[in-house]
Amino acid sequence: MESKFVFSPSPHIHTANTTSRAMIHVLVALVPSIAVALWHFGLPALEVLLISTASCMGVEWLVTRYMLHRPSTLADGSAALTGVLLALNLPSSLPWWMIVAGAIMAIGIAKMAFGGLGCNIFNPALVGRVFLLISFPVAMTSWPMPQSAFPLADGATGPTILSIFKEGAAGSQLPAYTDMLLGNIGGSMGEVSAAALLLGFAYLLAVRVIKAWIPLSIIAGLAIIDLIAGFPIIPDILSGGLLLGAIFMATDYVTSPMTTKGMVFYGLLIGIITASIRRWGAYPEGMSFAILLMNGCTPLIDRYFRPRRYSPKTSKAA
Amino acid sequence: MKKTFSIGGIHPAEHKTASPTITRQPLPMTACVVLSQHIGAPAQALVEKGQHVSRGECIAQAKNFISARIHAPISGTVSAIDNVTMPNGMSSKAIIIKASPEEHRADTEARELYWQRTLPSATYPAGIDAETVRKFIAKAGIVGLGGATFPSHVKAAPPEGAAKILIVNGCECEPYLTCDDALMQAFASQIVGGVRLMLKATGAPQAVIAIEDNKPRAIAAMKHACSSLNNIKVMVLKTKYPQGGEKQLIEAVTKQRVPSGTLPIAVGAVVNNVATAFAVWQAVCTSMPLIERIITVTGDIPADQQRNYLTAIGTPISELPFTLPKECRAILGGPMMGRTAVRLDAPVTKGTSGVLLLANRMRQPAKACIRCARCVDVCPMGLEPYLLGTYGRLRLWDEARAAMVADCIECGSCNYICPSSRPIVDYIRIAKQRSK
Amino acid sequence: MQLIVYTIILLGILGFVGALVLYFTAKRFSVHEDPRIDSVCAELAGANCGGCGFKGCRDFATACVEKGSLEGLNCPVSGPDGMARVAKILGVEPVKTDRRIAVLRCDGNCTARPQTFLYDGAKSCRVMNAVGTGTSGCAYGCLGCGDCTQVCQFGAISMDPATGLPVVDADKCTACGACVAECPRNLLELRPLGRRERRVWVACANRDRGAVARKFCSSACIGCGKCQKTCSFGAISIADNLAYINPDVCKACGLCVSQCPTGAIHASFTPPAKTEKTVKEVAQ
Repeated sequence: MESKFVFSPSPHIHTANTTSRAMIHVLVALVPSIAVALWHFGLPALEVLLISTASCMGVEWLVTRYMLHRPSTLADGSAALTGVLLALNLPSSLPWWMIVAGAIMAIGIAKMAFGGLGCNIFNPALVGRVFLLISFPVAMTSWPMPQSAFPLADGATGPTILSIFKEGAAGSQLPAYTDMLLGNIGGSMGEVSAAALLLGFAYLLAVRVIKAWIPLSIIAGLAIIDLIAGFPIIPDILSGGLLLGAIFMATDYVTSPMTTKGMVFYGLLIGIITASIRRWGAYPEGMSFAILLMNGCTPLIDRYFRPRRYSPKTSKAA
Repeated sequence: MKKTFSIGGIHPAEHKTASPTITRQPLPMTACVVLSQHIGAPAQALVEKGQHVSRGECIAQAKNFISARIHAPISGTVSAIDNVTMPNGMSSKAIIIKASPEEHRADTEARELYWQRTLPSATYPAGIDAETVRKFIAKAGIVGLGGATFPSHVKAAPPEGAAKILIVNGCECEPYLTCDDALMQAFASQIVGGVRLMLKATGAPQAVIAIEDNKPRAIAAMKHACSSLNNIKVMVLKTKYPQGGEKQLIEAVTKQRVPSGTLPIAVGAVVNNVATAFAVWQAVCTSMPLIERIITVTGDIPADQQRNYLTAIGTPISELPFTLPKECRAILGGPMMGRTAVRLDAPVTKGTSGVLLLANRMRQPAKACIRCARCVDVCPMGLEPYLLGTYGRLRLWDEARAAMVADCIECGSCNYICPSSRPIVDYIRIAKQRSK
Repeated sequence: MQLIVYTIILLGILGFVGALVLYFTAKRFSVHEDPRIDSVCAELAGANCGGCGFKGCRDFATACVEKGSLEGLNCPVSGPDGMARVAKILGVEPVKTDRRIAVLRCDGNCTARPQTFLYDGAKSCRVMNAVGTGTSGCAYGCLGCGDCTQVCQFGAISMDPATGLPVVDADKCTACGACVAECPRNLLELRPLGRRERRVWVACANRDRGAVARKFCSSACIGCGKCQKTCSFGAISIADNLAYINPDVCKACGLCVSQCPTGAIHASFTPPAKTEKTVKEVAQ
């Protein structure tokens, strides 16, 4: 017989949904937010985006090539995704070298030092952002105002909703909901438009890349604290990095729990911690810290929230 | 909302394109009857080299309780009792029977007569008792034809009063395969008759024939066949793999779960395949032992070759008419749990439900686990496959045992769904063996 | 001044109470253990490899101390010197044991046993063994995925890329038996190292009939019995078409090596006749 036989353990068929395809789906889901960022912040936003993506991919390539001596993992798309997410977490006015420093922190320290994709404990993009926030607090909190809404002179900066909350409404008014949805507010590149983020969320749910549990329970957790503190819930949800974090950062596969119960617990705590930092902490925004804190708890959560077993009895041999 | 099992499951592309018409595959001139084609002790040969045997004669007996008789699929002379190569390349003891042209012609005529006259005219034997049915089942060497090949007479004799429900598995949840579908469409009344006999044997008060909703014609045929009986029902289930798994099927039908490490009878259920029910009918009503079965031949082969064949046990697989794709994966059984064959001159056994020829698509190289939890979502036993697979790879048998690796049914859903193409179930199998 | 005095008194009382607690706890929960266990343990390799048949080095040390003699107790990793030191600690006679080494009972290299099937699955011998015969079709031979190299704690086994077979480094092998237990086809065997490291073994495990075995592998043992006739010490037996050389009887003369028609018998030294034959074979 001419045919060459293949022998292999079952199963013999496999799904076409691969890791890189999931990454591409997330990138597609980010397109509306990127578009809004470009629309509002113009060329500087594009610059930040390109520098961040390129440096994240560059760092990953350098580390795999010269430090780990492994084949390049750029093809899986995770480095590019980290770069885009990092950019969306930054103000568009950030100097290029800070972005590169953030990328080195994100990919070099938070991801590759732990062993690369799948092994990192903390969300790389968030580690990069928090590193920059703590190292360069002034640059990281000078939010350029969206140009189309307020034709201000170049370099003018404005407060975010959260800093308006924090400092008491000193001379500033809360923007209208439509502005929050469309992004006519101050903030980092990706967080300004709630509508664009929600569009991405809908897409991710439709292609079944993520489940709704984590984002929904984050919002629920935030709402609980807001109710206790007597705070308006809707602007709190639409403001700052909450939606960006809830939809794109907290749902990162690697650093979030695996079971539904675990996801709900994780999400609720992120919401509660975020709201607590916003209400009673020193920082106006607490989303990044909350997610990173819960990232660290994920292994524990996975240990305690096991999936629903088929067999009612637990193994006696354990 | 149609019923199905509650935890996990996947729905791969069905590819159930093979024609449901059953074609009779000509009897082979040489049949190679393997002595170990069921779970349990191999059968013991009753014949010697040079001895003449006639079609349907018992040629090997069951030595233990968990074993099954084997019958001659063709008339002829025993040319050898020797090791033959099995499809996977391993050797196994077999009785080789060679037919002369006259014997072959006579067998073929007898076979035609049986399928055209004897079988359709057989009627339900009124007043038959449980013991007689069980004896017939054991005598005919019937084993579970869904693929597990567990001797049926063992299952047909549960403790007195323990059986509450007989579930007849017509799910055929594996993609590609259509042999049960074909059988249900062609022999619905005989299957229902077999179910009645099995109800008698097991003492269960009622039976449910479970069929997935992707087989509308089989459902219609079976519903029609059991419309006059009030203790046999057809239940339509939502198509989902692995519905045909015993534990999943029991949950889908009765909403009860079989506790870890126990048999289905612990929740009062007896599960049998539709093909087994058909074999029971043949055994009891026409005294025909299990010497033929229906095999689906399908896969990446021309559409007119994708068919179901009534094939004598012991026929070399290569005698079935198909053209091999180049560099192919020949799978005996379905694509999810079937085993690959490398030697197609090996014989068909009682457990061969299909020959699936897939043009080779090598697995993607395994990449890092990204903890996406898809495997956890799809695991029908509610386990954590990513963890079990890692334990298996790192040889952590104790940890694997603690994580309930023994519950794994090796359905392969985790492997199927893994976006990083990790060989999860490959390692779980090893962990399962080693942590016993 | 007063402050210092009070501080001293207070801390003194505190320390005294703490000492009392510690004293009674130590008394109450003390476990008596033979101090020799620790000293024996210190002499052992500490690899916890299980080569001695116990769960770990400490279990083995406990067994040595409790038994009072070293009869039947041997740590292959520590070797005769290590065991002699253990014997000295225990004040008993050391038991002399032969050093052993793992040998591979397969010579199905890439040329002798060409790959006829493609394998697509996890790269693990156990996984492959559960699926079929391996890429060559031989149901007994080495699968070449290197499970044995992974379990060796001493780095003594490595895969030879030229042959696709594992190679045992005689200097590093401690005969702990981890590879023997791991190999799903039971191809590794612990055999005495031999005098001047001369040892002879059958590098094949195929129990098929000669013709079947040869179909897959040109260097398979076909059970012809030539070696059995050649051996003047009666060290070779043949069962199920497979020769076996009893290492306790074998004098490692190497005569059988040159007699084997398929070259299935291997020696750790080079018998001159074999070289000639190989040259002749290559020339053909």
